[in-house]
This record gives sequence, C-alpha cells and structure tokens, in this order.
Amino acid sequence: MDIGLVQSSTFILCLLIHCTSGLTGDEDDYRRKVSMELNPGQSEPSSGVDVVHVRAVGSDDTLHFLFCNHRAPALMLVHTNSSFSNVHINWTAFLNGNYSGSLKVVPESSVQFSSALVFTRLWEYDDVNDTADPEHLPPSSFFPSYELQDFSWNIRNATYNLTTHTATLCGRNSSNSFMNGFLCLAFSAFESRGRDSEWPGLLHNANSSQLHVWLDNVIPRSNQSRFILEVQSVSSAEQKGQVDVLKSIDDEYTPSIFKVSQWVSSPSNASSEILGYTQWKPVAYRTEHPKFEDATPCRHSDPVLVSELPPSGWVQALFRDGLQTSTLNITFSIAGDPFYNTTNYLSWSVLVGLGNPPQDSFSPLVLTIMAVGLGTPLALILFGGVGAGIFKRNQHPQGYEPIN
Amino acid sequence: MAGMGEEEDLITEEDPLTGQGDGSARARRSPCSDPAHWLHRIVVLVFMCFLGFGSYFCYDNPAALQTQVIQDMKLNTSGFMQLYAWYSWPNVVLCFLGGFLLDRVFGIRLGTIIFASFVFVGQIIFASGALFNRFWLMEAGRFVFGIGGESLAVAQNTYAVNWFKGKELNLVFGLQLSMARLGSTVNMNIMGWVYDRIKDLMGSAGPTTLGIALMIGATTCLFSLACALVLGFLDRRAERILKKEQGKTGEVIKLTDVKDFPLQLWLIFIICVCYYVAIFPFIGLGQVFFIEKFDFSPAEARAINSVVYIISAPASPVLGFMVDRTGKNVLWVACAILATLAAHMMLAFTFWNPWIAMSLMGLAYSLLACALWPMVSFVVPEHQLGTAYGFMQSIQNLGLALIAMAAGAILDNRGYLFLEVFFCACICSECYLSS
Repeated sequence: MDIGLVQSSTFILCLLIHCTSGLTGDEDDYRRKVSMELNPGQSEPSSGVDVVHVRAVGSDDTLHFLFCNHRAPALMLVHTNSSFSNVHINWTAFLNGNYSGSLKVVPESSVQFSSALVFTRLWEYDDVNDTADPEHLPPSSFFPSYELQDFSWNIRNATYNLTTHTATLCGRNSSNSFMNGFLCLAFSAFESRGRDSEWPGLLHNANSSQLHVWLDNVIPRSNQSRFILEVQSVSSAEQKGQVDVLKSIDDEYTPSIFKVSQWVSSPSNASSEILGYTQWKPVAYRTEHPKFEDATPCRHSDPVLVSELPPSGWVQALFRDGLQTSTLNITFSIAGDPFYNTTNYLSWSVLVGLGNPPQDSFSPLVLTIMAVGLGTPLALILFGGVGAGIFKRNQHPQGYEPIN
Repeated sequence: MAGMGEEEDLITEEDPLTGQGDGSARARRSPCSDPAHWLHRIVVLVFMCFLGFGSYFCYDNPAALQTQVIQDMKLNTSGFMQLYAWYSWPNVVLCFLGGFLLDRVFGIRLGTIIFASFVFVGQIIFASGALFNRFWLMEAGRFVFGIGGESLAVAQNTYAVNWFKGKELNLVFGLQLSMARLGSTVNMNIMGWVYDRIKDLMGSAGPTTLGIALMIGATTCLFSLACALVLGFLDRRAERILKKEQGKTGEVIKLTDVKDFPLQLWLIFIICVCYYVAIFPFIGLGQVFFIEKFDFSPAEARAINSVVYIISAPASPVLGFMVDRTGKNVLWVACAILATLAAHMMLAFTFWNPWIAMSLMGLAYSLLACALWPMVSFVVPEHQLGTAYGFMQSIQNLGLALIAMAAGAILDNRGYLFLEVFFCACICSECYLSS
C-alpha cells in the first residue's frame, strides 16, 4: 500500500506538471503569418529548377524555409531577427552554375541561424539472411546507390497549395526500377501548433516545418531488398555529434513507438542552448494510410563529418564553403519485418525547425480519464486511511479497566 | 464441492454389500492397482492434473505467437484478439449447461472424454486454419476449443471431488491449478522456439509454418485426451471394484434463482469481470508491448509475459492458506485490486523494470482468485451456489470476449498507453465497488 501511495503521488505530480505546461506552453502557442511563393524573382519561364520559398513572419523575426530541387532535394531554414527580411536570388548567376553567393537573405546582418537538410542517396541492399543489419553485410550485398542529385525532380502541380502551405516534389531517374515509381518529398509549413493527422502524427509548432518522404512503386532489385536513406545536414551553428533518442511513455499518437530521435544544433560556446533541430520518430510505414501492423522501426547511424558541402545547388548558393557538413543514414526495417516488395511503399516523416524541438504530452482524453478514474479512489483511500487512523487512536485501550 | 465437506473419506468406507469375498479379493491387489490405496490415487491424481494441461497450453498459443500470427495471417490487433473472443463466446452459455451435461446427459466419464475431444479437435481445426491460410477456420477452431476448454475444467474438479475428500481436496485443487499454470508457462516459453525451428526447416515464415507449429501444440491436447480415456477407465474400474457411484458435479442450475441474488453478489460479479478483463487481454497483447517499450528481445518478452502464471503456480496454495486463516476476504480483494492497479500504472507511466510490475500482478492475481471465489459461498445459500458460480463464469467469459475485442481495437488506433489507461480505469471502477 505504501508503494502504491508513493507511486500515485509521483504520478499525480507528473499529471499536474503536464497540465500546467499544457496550459502555459507559450513557445508552442506562438503564431506566425505564413506566405508561400514559387521561384521568387524569376522573370523567365521555369527552367525545371524550382525553389519554394515560405516566409513565416512572427512579431519581430522571420523564418524563411526554402524547399528546393536543384540536384539533390533540400530543405533550408534561415532565421532573421527582422520581420522585413526577404530572399534575393541572382537567377542568371545560378543558372550559369555560379552557385556561390547567388542566394541571399537580405538584410544579411539580420541572419541569426541557418541550416539545411539534404537528401543525397538512396541505398538498396539484398538482405539475404533477414538481419536488417547493413553495417555487417559485405559490399556485394549492396546494389549501386541511387544518387538523388542525378534524379529529375518536379513539383506536382496539384500539390502546390498556397492556402495550406504545402508542396510535393517527386523525382525519378531513368532506370527500370523507377519506371512507374517515384521518390517524393512533401513539405508543409505551419502557422501555429498542431499535429499531423496521419501517423507518425508529429507534433509541430509555428517554428517547424515537416517533410514527409516516401518511396512509391519502385521495383526492387531483389526479392529481399531493404532501403537506406542518406541525408546530409549543414548548419551555421555547431551540430551535435550524435542523435539524441528520448524515451517517452506516451505512444497515443504513434502507437507502439515510445522513442523520439532529435539532432540539434547549438552555438559553439553554449551547448545547452538549442538553435535548431531535426526531429523524427524512429518508425516508417509500409502503406499510404497506415494501420498498426504497417509500422516498421527505423534506425539511424551516428553523424559523420564530410569535407564538402552537400550536392545541392541551392545549398551551395546559400552556405559558404568551410562550414561543417554531417551525414547520417536512416536504415529502415528490422530483422523479421516484411521486405519492401510486400507493399512497394515506404514512408518516413521528419520535422525541421527553429529553437527547441516540440515535446509530446498526454491528450486531454487520457488526462480526464486518469484524473477521474485515479484521483477519486486515491482520495477515498487517503481520507479512509486518515479517518481509520484517527478512529483507531481514539479507541486506544486505556490499560486495565476496573472490574467493578 | 461446497456441499460435500464430509469428514469421512467415501472411498475407504467399508461397503456393507461387499462382504468377505471381495474384501479378500481387494487384499490380493497390488497397491498401485487397488483403487482404495493412496498410491493408486496418486496415479489417478497425476492423470487428473495432466487432463487440463493441454487445454491451458493451447489457450494461450495466440499470445505466445502474437507477432507471427499477425504477420503470417496478415491481421490487425482486433482480428488477432478475435481468437480470444471466440474462445469465450461458447462459455457464456456453457457455464450453465456444463454441470447439467456432466450430471444428467453424459456422465462424468463420457463427458470428460467428449470435452477433451472437443479441445483436441478444436486445436486441430485451429491449426488447419493456419495451414490452409483461412482465418475464419482458425476462429471456428477456437470456438470448438472453447466449447471443450471450460467444461473440461468443471469435469476435472468433479473427478477431484470424487476421488479426494476433506483436507486433501484443497491440496488437489491447488495442484490442478498449478498444473494449469504450468501449462500456460511452458506454452509461453516454448512455442516461439518451436516456431523458429520450423521456420529454419521450412526456410521461410508463413501460414504453413504457423500451422505446423500449432499442430505440434495440438499433441498436448492429444495427451490430455489420452489422460481423459485413462481416467475414464480407472474410474469405471474403481466403481466396479469399490461399488461407488459415478461422481456428480453437485451443481444444480436453476435460472430462476438469479432474481434472488443479493446486491453483494452482483458486486462480486462485477469485480470479477472488471478484474479478469484487465489481466487476460493484457497478457494476450503483452509480448509486443514488452518488445517495443522496454526493448526486450522476443524470447525475453515471452518469458516476462508468463511471469503471472509462473508466480501463481506456487503462490496460490500459500495465499489460499493465508486467506483461510485470516478470513478477511474483502480486505484481500481490495489489496489485490490495488496491487494490480499499481502494476498497470508502473507499466504505463514508467520505464521501471517490468519484472517488478509483472511479479506484483502475478501475486495480486493469485490473491484475488483465493479471496474472491470463496466469497460467493458466504453470500449465497448452498442450494444456489451452482447457479451463482455458473453465472459468474458466464459473465466473466462474456466480459472477456467483449473486452478482448475492445482491447484489440484500442491498440490498433490509440496505442499502448491508452490501452493501459483503459485497464487502469477498469480496475479503478472496482475500487469504488469494493469500498
């Protein structure tokens, strides 16, 4: 009974903390005014090179998102401390191949933080022994990688939506595998706090943007193929040398997933402050509208430094040489899980944003059930126990009672 | 059972009709074949205990092979839990009829053999459903299995009462329960290994692999059927030699008694339902929970899932003794409920080592069983006991069937935390009732 009381009181404390943080979560209730444009400043008709520019304006700062498709697809984030900043693109220089300096955010002095997430390669390997452990497989198990910088990308017209601030980019190469298949990336920007309706139901706020990546109808090159996605990240601050995996007891929004992975950037002199993040749940789904059994866990490798900037024209346009680029691999599936060819579909979602990564909390329904269901009996026990104790004390025998 | 607590042992009573001739005939038998001798009764006890082994082994086959069943048959969790729901449905009705069938229609010997056959045939159908990749056949198999399973337990108890009396009876019941739990434990820990070996032999996973593994599980049911046949033979022989009557369940089921049940009995029913629905469906779905949340390997997850059964095997007799001595049944029931609540809360809201929570759950489960079921006999007159127990079993099965499906649906849509909170809410509602 004592253990139960201690646990219950700890638990009630956690409940209260969650409730209050839910009520007073000022950072997460922040709103931004979001606007979207395609190819800002381009006078000539589209040359197949697209960049979607989203301006999310706050009270005294602006967050610029650039979702672009020149060579390797990339999502860039620039944070300025002015609400009047804008991007300036020198299209002539860029289309001629002089990337460096052709993309600027002006006024340049207002730029506080910038980062980029680039999708560089898609690896496919033959998992003959069904171990889903590519690090320990011989190089012969790996098929030639798909270099995403050599894919031809275009933005699907139907999905470029100015009201919901979403755009989808799909790409393929000329090989047989991609005859009817695509690798697509769907970008979304947000005005305020919310949650994606489809799993993994990542929680976002006004400082975040979401990328939903999926591999659809690609013909695998073996019957036991599994995939690995290689991403690279550049940041104006220092990126942590490892991805943090946080454990959570709440899997309401992503059933059976109790972890969150996040990769953060901090200033080099203050590693406790977080300037920007890349956050995801370590799960991928095998169908477009996934059910519980369609989930497949994914793992990540430790970030490794590389010497060059990522192979994306726009990233090279914004970032100067000399900045550190890190690369890591996301490995999909674990041993025993169905292979890619069971559904020919694989999807994964990632959040890229500014400041501290969003933290999940209990839904109001769960909180209500817990408060009503658990609070009342505990109160009963407490008062019952106290009452019984007082009653017993009053009943304490006085010693020998006189016979007469 | 409750109404047959006589002092003397029926079997060792001198039968006035045998006379001298039979007495000397009895003296010529060896101890093992002399039905009156304790050695023979131990042999019978062994067969009695193993009678229920197959049924309990195969009952939790789905839980032991949860991921494999879901993947090979391409199910979601609600579909998977149907396998448990279909086991419970026939028992909503059969709990009333079981005693009647055993007493009036078949007799204990034939009845036991029939029910053991149902168990065996049901498991074969279940395995065939997997072999032929037909999920509806698997559900039908579980239905047939369910018809036999619970009634077999009634038959087992009847045999026990017939062969053992007085103080021996508690020990025998305890042993039978322990054997049942042993069957569940062995199932949890072995079936996964069996499946993996077959997968290696076949080269791949799939419905056929699952079907073969389940067929191997069916051999335990065949073994139980064999025990039923042997028991029938030994019982008939004892009847012939000792001239005693075929055992009866003693249950008198009269449905009109239901309207006379006092309020406390209804509360006991509700507590029973609410409690067991927070245990068995959880064990059914537990394996994947331990793998995902606590990063256990599949073998470890199966082992911890079986802890509740492993603990209740030795704990039941001990706790039963304690409850008998102290007598405060209501207090023990409340303790058991609180302990289970604490265990579920630990599993839901912390990452503490789940062995602690599951061990606590095992103790609480044993304690509740020892304290709750006898309470019925305190509250209800003797001639209504049969109806009361039958009703209790019936509601329990109804609750299990419904909640099994609900648990599957909850898990599919909202995940494990919500499921645990749901179980906590079930248990909390009992706190109101027991106070």
